[in-house]
Amino acid sequence: MDTSIKRIAKQRIHTLFRLAIETCREDPQLAQRYVDVARRVAMAARVRLPTEYRRLVCRRCKSFILPGVSCRVRIKQRREPHVVITCLKCGGYMRIPLRRKSQGE
Amino acid sequence: MKVTPDIIRCEFIGTEAKVAKSTNPSCVGIRGKVIDETKNTFTILHNGERKMVIKDTSVFHFKFSDGTVVEIDGKLLLGRPEDRLKKRVRRLW
Repeated sequence: MDTSIKRIAKQRIHTLFRLAIETCREDPQLAQRYVDVARRVAMAARVRLPTEYRRLVCRRCKSFILPGVSCRVRIKQRREPHVVITCLKCGGYMRIPLRRKSQGE
Repeated sequence: MKVTPDIIRCEFIGTEAKVAKSTNPSCVGIRGKVIDETKNTFTILHNGERKMVIKDTSVFHFKFSDGTVVEIDGKLLLGRPEDRLKKRVRRLW
């Protein structure tokens, strides 16, 4: 029973993010709404958002960010190689370390 | 796509919908893409216009992306999209 809910939830998250990416250029508000629903579905089913989708949600303001549209992606070599994703809506940033070779970001 | 009672837990945003029956006569015949869903309503894009249809009093025909058409009573779809994930149905058909 529980596994079927999780399977359906994963499917729904995929469709919602796909729709959000499609619509975000015409109607950013609607795309934001889809992402909010997707996050709430994930929380209700206790499923972790897949990594590729977690990168599309700002960690600070939880808004939908798309590289080149509403966020900036830069590679930094200081201290340790890492990627910085800056949200252009709230100014918050997330850092993704590039330490492990196997991860291949 | 298999039609099981689990279908009420599926995602309806993005599907093609048609209002087959409704107690509100002006809502009957609305067809188009579902663009939003709330606890009690669906928002359907009908000829470029956003129409809000009450779930409780309508019967919908949904066409999923793989072409299956399913008729669902809106009464079963009541509830916010994330709460519907855990909804149970008694045997209906």
